[in-house]
Amino acid sequence: MEVMFLDTPYKKEFKLNKKTLDYLKKYKKVGVYSSVQFISKLNNVLKQLKENKVEYCTSKPKRANKEFQILGCDVFHGSLNLKKDVDCFLYIGDGEFHPLALVLLQKDSKKFKEVLTYNPIGNKFEVLTQKNVIRILKKYKGSLLKFLNSNNIGVLVTVKPGQQQFKQSLKLEKMYDKKFYYFVDNDMNFNNLENFNFIDCWVNTTCPRIGFDDAVNFRSMVNLNDALNAKEILSKESILNKK
Amino acid sequence: MIYDLELDKVVKKIGKSKLVCIQLPDGLKSEADNIVDYLEEKTNAKVIIWAGNCYGACDIPSGLRLIGVEKLFCFGHNRFNKVEGW
Repeated sequence: MEVMFLDTPYKKEFKLNKKTLDYLKKYKKVGVYSSVQFISKLNNVLKQLKENKVEYCTSKPKRANKEFQILGCDVFHGSLNLKKDVDCFLYIGDGEFHPLALVLLQKDSKKFKEVLTYNPIGNKFEVLTQKNVIRILKKYKGSLLKFLNSNNIGVLVTVKPGQQQFKQSLKLEKMYDKKFYYFVDNDMNFNNLENFNFIDCWVNTTCPRIGFDDAVNFRSMVNLNDALNAKEILSKESILNKK
Repeated sequence: MIYDLELDKVVKKIGKSKLVCIQLPDGLKSEADNIVDYLEEKTNAKVIIWAGNCYGACDIPSGLRLIGVEKLFCFGHNRFNKVEGW
């Protein structure tokens, strides 16, 4: 079956509002990201940044298809492929899903960089900080500890080709002296998982946002990357470990 | 509609296909009827709607071939470069 993707670009031209530009004066270098709908309309914003002497840079993250594009799954240190250091991030687009990736990817960093968001649809400026994910990170750190101290681990694998990481998940068995049970589904349904009461902790190998945003109200769950590096993650000075 | 649905591209791509499916993110699901009506008027294809998630290009439905879907049109996302182990 052939698949065609449609960017469905935003039709209107837009500029950053005064509130956004005033706030940006705090910073010299900004990393600019957007969702695919808005990328074709960023020219005015980039021009404004130059006029206001704000240096900007961007990248094409590992999983994305275009420069400036951030995906919700870009939640790991190094996901962005950003070569330059920046003082903060500026996200152009609507909703919180994408800019929260820029917050979550800093969980293993020492110092937090603010994520400024400008929504062209509502002409709205907001600042995302660690406070926006504090519940998620507290829970997540607890889940990592639980993972290391548990014997029966449930590994969640999806059959969706884009999210399927079964082969990678088998590495867990070589690394840890634990019993790993593998569970396969299309969409993960937490209600179904509750019935497998012999599982002490879950490892999510599907969309990593399930391991962060959705698992906050579920039993212990960690993402595959972090399960593979749990000891190292918990031992270093980081935003996660300050919680 | 503040977004360009790029339906002309879709019509061209449908070509002589007989059964295609559209997959829409939550914010565009309310447009599904208009999209189906337009595409069925402009082509000879039966256009069906994926009722489930559309969280990203990683979230392509599996099993559509079982009912003979020839092409899937995923709105609001572009190609995803899968990374093994994230």
